[in-house]
Amino acid sequence: MSNPIPSRKEVIEDIKNRGELVAAVLPIHYSRALLRCFSIYPVEVWGPPKVDVSLGGAHLQPYVCSIVHNALSFLKMGGLNAADFILIPHTCDSLQGLTSVLIDLIKPEQAIIPLYLPRGQREEDIIFLADEFRSLYTRLSELTGKKPSSKDLLAAIKREETSDLLLAKLYKTRQQMGLSNLDFYRLVRSREYLPAEHFSTLAEETLQTSTQPRPGIPIILSGIVPEPMEVLNKIDEMNGQVVADDLACCGRRLYKPGISPEPFRRMAERIISAPPDPTRGNPIEERVKYLVEMAQNSGAQGIIFYEVKFCEPELFDLPNLRNSLKEHGLASIIIEVDINNPLPHQVATRISAFLEMLDS
Amino acid sequence: MKIAALGIDVGSTTVKMVGIDAAGEIVWHHLEPVDPRVEKQVDSFLNKLKQEINSLNNIPLIATGYGRNLVHQAVKNITEITCHAKGVYHQLGHGGTLIDIGGQDSKVIVIGTKGQVVDFAMNDKCAAGTGRFLENSAARMQVPIEEMGTVALSATEEVAISSTCTVFAESEIISMIAHGVEIEPILMGLHRSLIRRVVAMVRSVGLVPPLLLSGGVVKNPAIRKVIEEETKEQVFLPEHPQLMGAYGAALFALKLMAS
Amino acid sequence: MGITDSLKYYWNVKVVGQPFLHWQRRQAERRPKVSSRWRSDILSPPLRIGAKTKELISRHYLEGRYANGHRPVAWVTSGGPVEILQALGFYVLYPENHGALCGVRKAVVEIYGEAENAGYSTDICSYARTDIGSMLSGKTPVGRLPKPDLLLACTNICQTVLHWYRVLAKHFEVPLILIDTPFVYTKASDHALEYVKKQLENSIPIAEQVAGRTLDYRRLKEIIHLSKDATELWLEIIGRGRHHPAPMSVFDQFIHMAPIVEMRGKKETVDFYAALLKELDENIDKGIGAVRNERKRLLWDNLPIWYRLRYFAENLGEHGICVVASTYTNAWAELAPLMNLEKPLDSMANTYMHPILNQGTKYKLDTMKRMVEEFQLDGVILHSDRSCKPYSIGQIDQRNLLIQEYGIPALLLEADHDDPRAYSEEQVASRLASFVEMLDD
Repeated sequence: MSNPIPSRKEVIEDIKNRGELVAAVLPIHYSRALLRCFSIYPVEVWGPPKVDVSLGGAHLQPYVCSIVHNALSFLKMGGLNAADFILIPHTCDSLQGLTSVLIDLIKPEQAIIPLYLPRGQREEDIIFLADEFRSLYTRLSELTGKKPSSKDLLAAIKREETSDLLLAKLYKTRQQMGLSNLDFYRLVRSREYLPAEHFSTLAEETLQTSTQPRPGIPIILSGIVPEPMEVLNKIDEMNGQVVADDLACCGRRLYKPGISPEPFRRMAERIISAPPDPTRGNPIEERVKYLVEMAQNSGAQGIIFYEVKFCEPELFDLPNLRNSLKEHGLASIIIEVDINNPLPHQVATRISAFLEMLDS
Repeated sequence: MKIAALGIDVGSTTVKMVGIDAAGEIVWHHLEPVDPRVEKQVDSFLNKLKQEINSLNNIPLIATGYGRNLVHQAVKNITEITCHAKGVYHQLGHGGTLIDIGGQDSKVIVIGTKGQVVDFAMNDKCAAGTGRFLENSAARMQVPIEEMGTVALSATEEVAISSTCTVFAESEIISMIAHGVEIEPILMGLHRSLIRRVVAMVRSVGLVPPLLLSGGVVKNPAIRKVIEEETKEQVFLPEHPQLMGAYGAALFALKLMAS
Repeated sequence: MGITDSLKYYWNVKVVGQPFLHWQRRQAERRPKVSSRWRSDILSPPLRIGAKTKELISRHYLEGRYANGHRPVAWVTSGGPVEILQALGFYVLYPENHGALCGVRKAVVEIYGEAENAGYSTDICSYARTDIGSMLSGKTPVGRLPKPDLLLACTNICQTVLHWYRVLAKHFEVPLILIDTPFVYTKASDHALEYVKKQLENSIPIAEQVAGRTLDYRRLKEIIHLSKDATELWLEIIGRGRHHPAPMSVFDQFIHMAPIVEMRGKKETVDFYAALLKELDENIDKGIGAVRNERKRLLWDNLPIWYRLRYFAENLGEHGICVVASTYTNAWAELAPLMNLEKPLDSMANTYMHPILNQGTKYKLDTMKRMVEEFQLDGVILHSDRSCKPYSIGQIDQRNLLIQEYGIPALLLEADHDDPRAYSEEQVASRLASFVEMLDD
């Protein structure tokens, strides 16, 4: 890569220095365009890993996953002080609980803004989600005093659409780019905090530089988030190559451009038509079809289900997914992690053994 | 004695080293409790062997097991999954479903018709499905580990242990003892509880007969009996059940040398 | 639907089964037998209505056993809008209730083991694991469960149900109706209510197609009427806990709530609760309390620990403590006022948006505080239920606030509603003992 990717911290400082607003956004789906119309810059919070977990543990039971625990711990240790708002999409029961505890009982300084995501892909779901964005517009308007026009909204949406198309292109050409697993994910995950225009520039530059493709045992990574990121180095070390992914923070957010000229509906269409995601209620059959096609298109030989412990939306589908993939000749393995722990020995052993198995 | 290749398996409780001849037969082996300074221990293993056969030159060593990364004398590391499959297949001459219950990890490996790993499962992070579960509980009851199985089998009845969590199980046991329950039925219940967890792993990968068993726990007769009861399959043991990982590693070393 | 199946149904259910269950109940009523293990020294004799409860539940599962081929069958989540399905003649099964029954009958470990063996994680809800285990193996303590022709998942109790019902839909290859009810953090928005109503409307043609008949709106109103009547009676029954001593403990409520969950919208359910209310009033007149020597009164929060109901009743009863009320049994009562016969779909949308599980943590805290005051309670036991995140998240702060802000003693107990492996009696016993000592201070 020609330019180094700025860190979350640098990006936040830059936004703050320009006197603009930051929204900390929790996983998974929302509309970046809607925030940007109000000159609010979304910076996503996926955990983060390795924080003082006792802070969240004072409010949440141990059977709540480490992503939700850490989001709260991070907030309590001041990690979100730079954020003017905290937007929490309704992704699962645990994030729902966290949102409610924050609004009702913990009451941090920043406004907590919930966003409900419908669990179907029907017309009524699109209508509802568009309405949900409309009401979020009203809320942000009250908070900022701004009233962006339809034209502003559409311009913001198109800017994000451009960025997402470039993201899709990075995915498509990843096998020719020669990036290590870690470098590729550092790049695509910068979409979590870089403004769209900045990300687009970075993506275009990367697409122009070409290096030798890296050989390796081709695999797919599925799950919520590849944390701790050392796991990607481990896969490199074992001569594995992630050729495609079904990760909530990455591949499940390859949003296609919307169709409707009406901005709120267009935002909703983009999310509803995204790749299948259990947190948005897609049937298991759709996920099987999607994963099998992904494996065929990428040449992947196996799938690692890299799961955060206690993540119910992920856990329910696994037996069916694994059986169906097996019928299609695809081996798979489940790895459960707590994102606070350094990559445990056992996890490394399982990944190694899985790659040895695919290689034999 | 002509040693052509070496394999070492650094487990969480014991270290095993195996030497094989050019035909792949075990001609030398050694087993010791694990020392935290693994590299030093491996040196002492190698020195011991050197005294017996004079020269270790050009004998490749492959390491496996929990501490495989700590063995700097090895030319390569391979996971215990792949090594166990290799070792067991080579010794028995066929595939099947291998259960290996270790102190830290338990694993179930489906071995294909060519000795390759077809699928595998390992216990999750908690100790409930491992040998540690039995060891902790036996220690609570002051029964020596070596006698655990025999004592359990002497039970005329069995109590159900509902907790699979090691910590919960301990308090459950204490309360049972306080209520006058005998040790034998509790031990039998503990074996059942452990084996059910392991059998769940077997089911999750799908049992391909025959059922094979390796690891240190094969010395415990109750384990084998309860596995047979729970799976309704006969269990087969390799000749050196504790050495299968190291043996597999040695076989890989031999192959490496040949290529 | 086939003639043979219908004949089988009539023979087994109407001719043989129901008269037998009726006879069995009459026998039990004529010669009430109290088990020798019943702690008569600390608890009053069991309520007489118990024989009727048993008859109703047995009959419900008996009807289910022979339903396939005779009537359309739907599997529904406990908070699901069931009235439309009932008006269409569906036999309705509640897997959660079945899960609870498996828990009470101590059959869960074997059944959910089947799901775990098939690769379902021990970290997913124990109701779901039990149901999936039963689905895969056919194991159930009630003989046989009918296969569904239709599934209905309503997200007003959790998101878990949708993931769970997706698994059922894949296995049984039948349509799944999703009623998605946006979580009410503070106030339900108009567009959310509209969304729920729209989904209810759209579910009708799907259910009609499976049932092979069209919805009769007059019948729907009748059912909502019956549903409302039964719910109001249940509200009154719970309200009787205000009396000292309380005529019924929550451990009884947990058992006698089965009809309000799985037989709403039926005449016999209304009659059943009228009879229960009458019995409670008689006991109040005679001064009979559920716990003989009631000294302290508590509130229970969250789902029951199904496999240890008796243990809790006795352990606390021994200290003269009666658990009088619970936010859980109250959940099936508090929505009665929202039902409006004149606007069936609008009122259903509103009702099904507002169960306690679909509302914020503040609402739950306020509910607990209100109940403590209304029922004159001395403390709260919050069951932190590993299998139910929506109910449990927030309890740590709620407990602290109950103590610090309102001076109400409160105890958080870690367990699981249906998984005995996640429950340690020794830990629970020592926590309960110190809580009891604290109440006495």
